[in-house]
Amino acid sequence: MATLKKGKTYLYLNGRIIGFVEDPQKFVNEVRTARRKGVISGEVNVAYIAKLNVVNINTDRGRVRKPYIIIENMAPKLTKDLLEKLKSKEINFNYLVRNGIIEYLDAEEEENALVAFTEHDITDQTTHLEVDIASIFGFTINTSPFPEHNSLARHAMLANFTKQAEGLYATNFNQRFDSRAYLLFYPQVPAVTTTAYDSTNIKNHPSGQNFVVALSTYYGYNMADAIVLNRAAVDRGLGRSIFYKTYSDEERRYPGGQRDRFKIPAPTAEGYMGENVYSKLSDDGIIEPEMQIQEGEALIGKVAPPRFLEENIGAGGLEEKVRDDSTVLKTGEKGTVDSVILTESTGATKIVKIRIRSLKIPENGDKFASRHGQKGVVALLVPPEDMPFTAEGIIPDLLLNPHSIPTRLTFGHLLEMLAGKASALNGAPLDGTAFTDKGTDRLEQYGKILNNYGFEQNGNEVLYDGITGIPFKAQVFTGVVYYNRLYHMVSNKIQVRSRGKVQILTHQPTEGKARQGALRFGEMERDALIGYGASLLLKERLLDQSDKTEVLICKECGSFGYYDHIKKVNVCPLCKSSSFSEVEISYAFKVLLDEIKALHILPSVKLNE
Amino acid sequence: MAKTLDKDKEKYMVQYGEPVGMIAAQSVGEPGTQMILRSFHLAGIESTISTSGLPRIVELVDAKKKPATPVTYIYLNKSISKSFDKADEMQKKINEVVMSNITRRTIENFTKGTIRFLFNRQELELEGLSPKQVATRLEKHLEVDAKAEDEKSVTVHMHTKNLKLIRATTVKILKSVISGIEGAGKVMIRKDEKTDEFYLVAAGSNMEGIINVDGIDKSRITTNDIFSVYRLFGVEAARNALAMELKKTLDEQKISVNQRHLYLISDAMTASGTPKGVGRHGLSGEKNSVFARAAYEETVKHLIHAAAYGEVDPMKGVTENILVGKQIPIGTGSVRLTIKKEDMAKIKSKKD
Repeated sequence: MATLKKGKTYLYLNGRIIGFVEDPQKFVNEVRTARRKGVISGEVNVAYIAKLNVVNINTDRGRVRKPYIIIENMAPKLTKDLLEKLKSKEINFNYLVRNGIIEYLDAEEEENALVAFTEHDITDQTTHLEVDIASIFGFTINTSPFPEHNSLARHAMLANFTKQAEGLYATNFNQRFDSRAYLLFYPQVPAVTTTAYDSTNIKNHPSGQNFVVALSTYYGYNMADAIVLNRAAVDRGLGRSIFYKTYSDEERRYPGGQRDRFKIPAPTAEGYMGENVYSKLSDDGIIEPEMQIQEGEALIGKVAPPRFLEENIGAGGLEEKVRDDSTVLKTGEKGTVDSVILTESTGATKIVKIRIRSLKIPENGDKFASRHGQKGVVALLVPPEDMPFTAEGIIPDLLLNPHSIPTRLTFGHLLEMLAGKASALNGAPLDGTAFTDKGTDRLEQYGKILNNYGFEQNGNEVLYDGITGIPFKAQVFTGVVYYNRLYHMVSNKIQVRSRGKVQILTHQPTEGKARQGALRFGEMERDALIGYGASLLLKERLLDQSDKTEVLICKECGSFGYYDHIKKVNVCPLCKSSSFSEVEISYAFKVLLDEIKALHILPSVKLNE
Repeated sequence: MAKTLDKDKEKYMVQYGEPVGMIAAQSVGEPGTQMILRSFHLAGIESTISTSGLPRIVELVDAKKKPATPVTYIYLNKSISKSFDKADEMQKKINEVVMSNITRRTIENFTKGTIRFLFNRQELELEGLSPKQVATRLEKHLEVDAKAEDEKSVTVHMHTKNLKLIRATTVKILKSVISGIEGAGKVMIRKDEKTDEFYLVAAGSNMEGIINVDGIDKSRITTNDIFSVYRLFGVEAARNALAMELKKTLDEQKISVNQRHLYLISDAMTASGTPKGVGRHGLSGEKNSVFARAAYEETVKHLIHAAAYGEVDPMKGVTENILVGKQIPIGTGSVRLTIKKEDMAKIKSKKD
């Protein structure tokens, strides 16, 4: 490798050293000038890192790049003249890039740039100007109104909630067979939009609705991120959505000419689940559209050849031995068969896809979130007559606890309430793009609109208690907020068990929702009970409610015995004695002793009377 | 007064069957989880950066033979402790200087049979040594013919041309202690602002060596090396030192744990007469029950040992009773009948 000569700077191309530069700053400037002139590609980025004495040229793929307006002699190159031409569509954005007015910088070259947010911030040090100051946020944050008034932690949460929001995810949802899909009824475009809504297609794919929100408590039902919904609004379709789930199966072929067959299994099939399970299948073994279906009922009837070859050999009978391999609706699910398609795979086997649809009406435990990282779980659906109402008779859709605001620093939420209200009265969406107040007072602007329509300019309302009819002593801040319904719903998650399935090996309860499992009483929970000295409770949890078994232990040799059902006596397989003690132990301990025996160690159990 | 205290004594005593060990473990373990998250260092303020936080707790609980950063606090006799000169003198006496610390270069001349040690003169000056002193020290302790021929080196004449012997001697000399006490490490002088006293801080833990130096207050010397305390003062002192070190480490992170728990841990660790860790080579590895040991670590080893020696599990502990599904002998389960029912009847009949 070449060695560094004094007064020279390493030159790297895509991370590989290619030589040295004598005057790095001059070199970098030359490359940039050439790029702006169009002599070299606009995709080339160059950065001089003085600290490491290195010049990096990057031309490879995978760099995130962002456009900036170039500044020369303290003036942006994008002049008013050019802006006019841009507006009249005489020129386009690409023209600006090609002519060195706007250039793309990557992360490394940004280190050499001093970017001004607005034209007023330009100093003699400034090299670039933001195309739009809102672009310092990403796309997701820019869908939120007034993000500059929210804390960064809430922005991070918003980015997560946006992914989870239900909406119109695709206009061809009817033709799609997604394994899971959620669709919101009557999705709305927000009352307070941002430029992100105009510059992309998301107005055609909205994922929420405008809720009338009152910042009020309701008998403690909306403590700690719980929300209270108006039942009348829910009944009229607020937050209502549909859940699609697709089940599919295939007629597989096996070596030896055997294959699966779609049909209603005969009662002789191995693993036959009973007549009721298959009652909704038609003759071809596949369910019909628009059938109501419950958990445990078959969607696709299928018989498969036996798992092990020898089972068929020697059977000799005319009838082929088969195994039931039907697809059954999972526990806790129900719905209507929305659509059934029958098609062929590339391997020329038959494929069935069945889409189940189920209605999800907001209920206690469902999750909602506004565009300010403010999430909440429905805790109560209040009948409209018990909800607070305004003098006009407006009943809020949602009651949000005022304690959610100050500690989370989401003042954008309050601004959106006000702006949403103003926009609803005005009948036109308002703009809430980041940093667009331009010195004007937003509160004043929205207050004026509210005043024009005869509302309090600060958004407060006199609310009347729905139960007593008496006005509340304090006025309540009321407005319109765009809420997303997130896809976490109790009906998909709820699971209970008191007794149920156990594992074969250990006789202990199964784990997980899909297996009707129990909740694990883990090591730390065990420690807590020991620490409390609750020895009988611990025994109950770990033995009586788990893998208790009764075993026979030989009094002579201390090994396990068994009961001989023919001779009707207890037998010890080792010493043939017949005096036994019946002992309660955990099945896991029996397994342990059995496995120790498998290691050629003979354990024996000594018992005290 | 004594009576009331005596009466109340029982009220404050731990009840029979209380799982104190589990409670101690939970009481230390829970705040310990927070410690991982807040493991910051106060760099630079204390020049002896000692291990702290979770690594230090682990080190103590595992009863490591030597701490990663040993420190000894040496206080001087009250009569001399306020004089800096005396403290400086003591520092020179104790501060461990190893030959390799002050040597810049070693030149072995195999044809002449000499080894020449060129000193780093700054280091030499800092330690207050001269080549002559080094030479006499080497002659005295290693019985070699050492001569200080100029102001920057010492030459050792081997009077032999045996290569192996010369090389071995070089290594030996480089490792040898020129001044101070072996294992004392670097010693620094500190001033206690409250009492105006000077004291010494040594980055080593040879308390056995240091304590015999004249002018040291033998009652106040402390170290963070538990085994050094154990060797010099015995188990009881080691127990105290252990509890104190645990407390100090937790206090540094502003975690408050009741000292009873720390004393219980220290008690358990020192109960056998020597400090033992809680891990598989210590307390857990010495449990009575085969199952309890097998359930912790090295399952197969314990099972095979049990099989080979015909061990019997007395089923007296917690783990093994949970394993088989018996009521554990702790808390409400610690109550047992000591008299059989039939025997009870006999006692009654006697009274009648």
